[in-house]
Amino acid sequence: MASAKGEKAKDVARKVRDRVRASGVFDRSLRGRVQRLEQELEADRQLHRKIAELSDVVAELLVPIQDRDEERVAEVLSQYRKTI
Amino acid sequence: MTSTEITAEITAEGIWLAEPPSEPVMVHFDGRYLWSFTPARDGQPRADGSFVPWPGNLVRFLDGVVRIRLQDVDGEHVWWDAEHQFGTSTERVAVVDKEGVPLSVDKVGHLGRSFLETPEEVKQELLQATLEVLTVLREQCDADAYLCYGALLGAVRNGKMIGHDSDVDVCYYSHRTTPVDIILESYRIERIVRAQGWTVTRMSGADIKVVRKLSNGAKCHIDIFGAFTIGGTFYQLGNRSGDFDAAAHLLPLGTVMLEGVEFPAPKHPEAMLSFVYGPHWRVPDPSFVHRDNPFGVIRLNGWLRGFRDDLPLWNDVYDQRAGQVQREPSDFARWVGEQLAPGDKVADLGAGTGRDTRWFAEQGHDVRAVDFSRRSFARTRRIDGVRSDQTMFNELRRVLILGTRLARDPHHLYARELLGCLDEAARANLFKLGSMSLRRGGSMFLEFSATLAGALPPDPGHLVARLDPDRVAAEVAASGGRIDYRETAEGVDMFDAPDPAVCRMRITWPHPKENH
Repeated sequence: MASAKGEKAKDVARKVRDRVRASGVFDRSLRGRVQRLEQELEADRQLHRKIAELSDVVAELLVPIQDRDEERVAEVLSQYRKTI
Repeated sequence: MTSTEITAEITAEGIWLAEPPSEPVMVHFDGRYLWSFTPARDGQPRADGSFVPWPGNLVRFLDGVVRIRLQDVDGEHVWWDAEHQFGTSTERVAVVDKEGVPLSVDKVGHLGRSFLETPEEVKQELLQATLEVLTVLREQCDADAYLCYGALLGAVRNGKMIGHDSDVDVCYYSHRTTPVDIILESYRIERIVRAQGWTVTRMSGADIKVVRKLSNGAKCHIDIFGAFTIGGTFYQLGNRSGDFDAAAHLLPLGTVMLEGVEFPAPKHPEAMLSFVYGPHWRVPDPSFVHRDNPFGVIRLNGWLRGFRDDLPLWNDVYDQRAGQVQREPSDFARWVGEQLAPGDKVADLGAGTGRDTRWFAEQGHDVRAVDFSRRSFARTRRIDGVRSDQTMFNELRRVLILGTRLARDPHHLYARELLGCLDEAARANLFKLGSMSLRRGGSMFLEFSATLAGALPPDPGHLVARLDPDRVAAEVAASGGRIDYRETAEGVDMFDAPDPAVCRMRITWPHPKENH
């Protein structure tokens, strides 16, 4: 019984090890490191557009919202949507 | 003219050539230029020859009789000239638009009206429209804007527009050196261009397209491409990148003459043309295709794109296969309909052909149709009682605005076969929309193809992916949503073909205060 449990635990450990290896997270080889760098670089590149979009929305809309002017907010939202 | 007949076979699928010429091949239908290809680049080896498939957008026109001529650029050599019958129709094949104007295939596979078929006065109108755009860019946007690509090539070669071209491109050089600033500058320029009353479409973070109507009913497209230098590399949208010294060859701008009109141009246009088209730019090649530096393209995609990548492909689906989508509402729509109260408002996200949009409207609901495709927008806006909205789920700005509007005017959110078309970032935006607009009530109803061992992707396979419902559930939870109903069963795809695994979910977003 104990040995069957032990085998099962080993089996789980092997599966975890294989998944970690397949994920490449701990791959110290040059190939693995370059692959991770490329993924991280791509994620960083995509931040440019996200920051630009957020800056644009904030810059165009924040002022009337700060003023809590409902009518003006609706008007600005409508106007903003027409310009993108 | 010499006629050197080669062995060719023409079918509904494409053109097979026994001894394909090494130079570009011009395809004429009934004496009119239609399309060009270079066998070595566009062909597939088949039966000791080369097979070149018809461009996808052309296939629906190929039914009837037509005289097909295959010739070189100047018409000096004709390799093939004979009548051919496609399908069963005995009518002449007519590749024309709604107004009956002949179309040709451009270098990215789209159908357009080429300048060969454009009357002189319309050409002049197009040139004036281009000049107006350049003037707005230079005087109101304070941008170094210049004529580029085919129009510049024609101007420098012989002062005339290139016959096989179908559009005009202008560029501006941004003095910003980081992508975020370049994108913000492009947003600023877009606002000024829109303020002229022109129709504008954003193509990427640094290029927009102006669409203007000409007096013959045709629409002309003027692309406004950004150019910039980052880390010593010059980039010019579309996808060009490499060694080009803007300080030495671009600025200050000079001028060129095109069809008798003076246009701003790069200081050394020859250097720009060599950068864009390579050292042989003086030799005409209508089948020319840019061979861009793949690393430059990867950078540009990462910085500027990702919010409308599949749009042209979806437009092709609407153009070519809209008739295959049922007009009757989907079972999912009926299932959702049973759960709605009279008077509930519905936003149909990814409305497509509008089959379910129409049905919800007929049931008396106020309906808002949302899709990223203009083809869909054009269909749903004609339905009574429906407001249409063109929103890309990858573009955060539009999602935030839609979310704000729906928060103030609550609608249930309905999305059939949308989730599998979205990437992870767009799905996160969709759930953000849910969390913004449903916190005071209402549900999001989702139906999507689920992962199943051995199951093929749902149709259209190149645009829709199966998703693991557990993964979707984790994404919903991360956005603060709660899944009230979840079921995976057999169902149908967008064309009502059987799908072995379709998942339905009903999701709500409790108000953040409920979590305290």
